[in-house]
Amino acid sequence: MRRTGVVPPLLRRALAPRTPHCHRHCDRPQRGHNLRALAPGWLCVYACPGGAVSVITYSEWSNADPTARLLPFVRAHTTPATLVRRRDLRLARRHGPELGAEAERYLARVHPPRAVSTVYWRLYPFKKKDGTVFRLFVCFRHGTERVQFFVAPGNIMSPPCPKCRVRTR
Amino acid sequence: MAEPKRLTIVLAPWCPHCEPLSVTEGNRLARRLKIPLRLLDIDHAAQEKEADRLVRRYGDSAPDYLIPQVFLEWSDGRVQHLLTGFSEEVPRTARAWADLLRSAWLRTLIRGASG
Repeated sequence: MRRTGVVPPLLRRALAPRTPHCHRHCDRPQRGHNLRALAPGWLCVYACPGGAVSVITYSEWSNADPTARLLPFVRAHTTPATLVRRRDLRLARRHGPELGAEAERYLARVHPPRAVSTVYWRLYPFKKKDGTVFRLFVCFRHGTERVQFFVAPGNIMSPPCPKCRVRTR
Repeated sequence: MAEPKRLTIVLAPWCPHCEPLSVTEGNRLARRLKIPLRLLDIDHAAQEKEADRLVRRYGDSAPDYLIPQVFLEWSDGRVQHLLTGFSEEVPRTARAWADLLRSAWLRTLIRGASG
């Protein structure tokens, strides 16, 4: 059995959505970008080809709430950090029966029972005073952790990253 | 021996993971278990208090917690958290309900109740 926290590939497959799409931006399919920046769990950023983020997930195979691990990470990688509010991070535990037969069997072998705990960070699009709608974008070109979150007007397809000034795609 | 007593879903009517999806599937699960279904609307002041209590004590608690959250109450007083909506997308929550309804856990529970 794996050590506490690590999410094995079988459980990652069971957790992942099959058809994530970008809503209210480009309607193109989204990809789950797996990042190795946060141990021991599984950090995944769901973003469209234009860099618009729908949700960031961090999962650990553990009954413990991993919010305290994700919160400082996203704050450290978001410009400005004040965009990351504690109330926008939400916990969900997955027990097995809701993950399909293979994952259910896999999780049932572990005693005492251990759920997969996922924390979601979702920043909903918001309006600034002039009425412009802003939303969260991501750039993957930074350092070893290769991720930078920032906000830009939601009608831009690939806004430039404020750190590297390169367009997301 | 303890038996399932009631299924409760904490939800909001504006949430596409909740209505109609979780209400429909929750009804299906409750019928299979032959127990009543209770819906707790977090926008309804009287129901919100009980919803918050269930989520804080047995569910996936957060300052602004995820919905829907589904709980199975047992005759011995236990409350079991069964499912929380998948924030990724509504079809992922639909898949979770489908998997739950055909799970080995549910088959065993129904066999135990009828045996």
